[in-house]
Amino acid sequence: MPARNTLERYGYVAQTLHWAIVGLLIVQVTLGKIADDLPRGLEKLALLARHKSVGITILALAVVRLAWRWIDHPPPLPPMPRWQHIAARLNHWLLYGLLFALPLTGWMMSSASNYPVSWFGLVQLPDLVAPDHDFKELMDRVHKTLVNVLFTLAALHVAAALKHQFLDRNRLLARMLPGRRP
Amino acid sequence: MMLRTLVLALMLCPPALADVRQADQASGTLEFSATQAGATFTGAFKRFQVRLDFDPARPDQGSLEVTVETASVDTQDGERDQILKSPDFFWIEKHPRAVFHATRFEPEGAGWRASGVLAIRGVEKPVRVVFTLATAGTATVMKGTAALRRLAFGLGQGDWASTEWIGDDVGVRFELKLAPVR
Repeated sequence: MPARNTLERYGYVAQTLHWAIVGLLIVQVTLGKIADDLPRGLEKLALLARHKSVGITILALAVVRLAWRWIDHPPPLPPMPRWQHIAARLNHWLLYGLLFALPLTGWMMSSASNYPVSWFGLVQLPDLVAPDHDFKELMDRVHKTLVNVLFTLAALHVAAALKHQFLDRNRLLARMLPGRRP
Repeated sequence: MMLRTLVLALMLCPPALADVRQADQASGTLEFSATQAGATFTGAFKRFQVRLDFDPARPDQGSLEVTVETASVDTQDGERDQILKSPDFFWIEKHPRAVFHATRFEPEGAGWRASGVLAIRGVEKPVRVVFTLATAGTATVMKGTAALRRLAFGLGQGDWASTEWIGDDVGVRFELKLAPVR
């Protein structure tokens, strides 16, 4: 499998970035959900610290992924009705937007509540905003709303990929999977 | 004759020791910094009293007394403040005040080092405060720092005694405007 994308499939750089982010998002949503349900305490603090570190990792990978996409154009979509084509493009860009919006709103929540973010205890990141209780509450709501938007868009993305793979039988899913031939 | 001159001189020039100065609360700050999950955050105490009885010409007769109302702890996050006020940390119901009292002063750099005893949560430990004094009109600006270890005072019981997520080292920083006591 080549590093770069071909006309038929994604190269291993794009594939690795895609699946690494998928894996981290699953970890991330799980950590966030468990932490949110915990009463205040050390366990919550520890889980949220991990959640923030993973979030910053996703943000960094999203930057790399967008830069790579700019260097290495994705393969064209297989033939499909125009509305599906538009919907697929729109959904992709919205998902990219969320890869930035979710970490950034989380980071702002942290800064606004005077909990500076550290990446795995190795690097302390600058505060994005000054401590502000009302702004923190606002970002909290936005962050949680965006998680629900992510669930919806990711479900659509997966459903569309499966539909193309198994109903249209155009092997769309194989473009994002390793293997000898797409 | 010589004795009379001496007595007269002492009466005319009262020792500066009598010049007791207190903090003007509105313009003073008493801050601390601690680390959680590898990131340093800053908090403050909003209510405290400072009484400095110090003549640089007679450091051996000086006295510095700082009384801090533990319930005034403010880290700009309500949940964290509640934890700090709880029996796991400052235990404000049982220990409403933390007191530092120093009577030993030695020159340090351009300023002074006051060695004394800090009492928090019923535990007394020796602590050194390094400070400078500067004149601003009729007031004296006192700026300084101190370093201490939270666990030495029992600040952090149970799970909180672990330093994995919350560091042991705490830095203290203050800037006070001291006015003469009338």
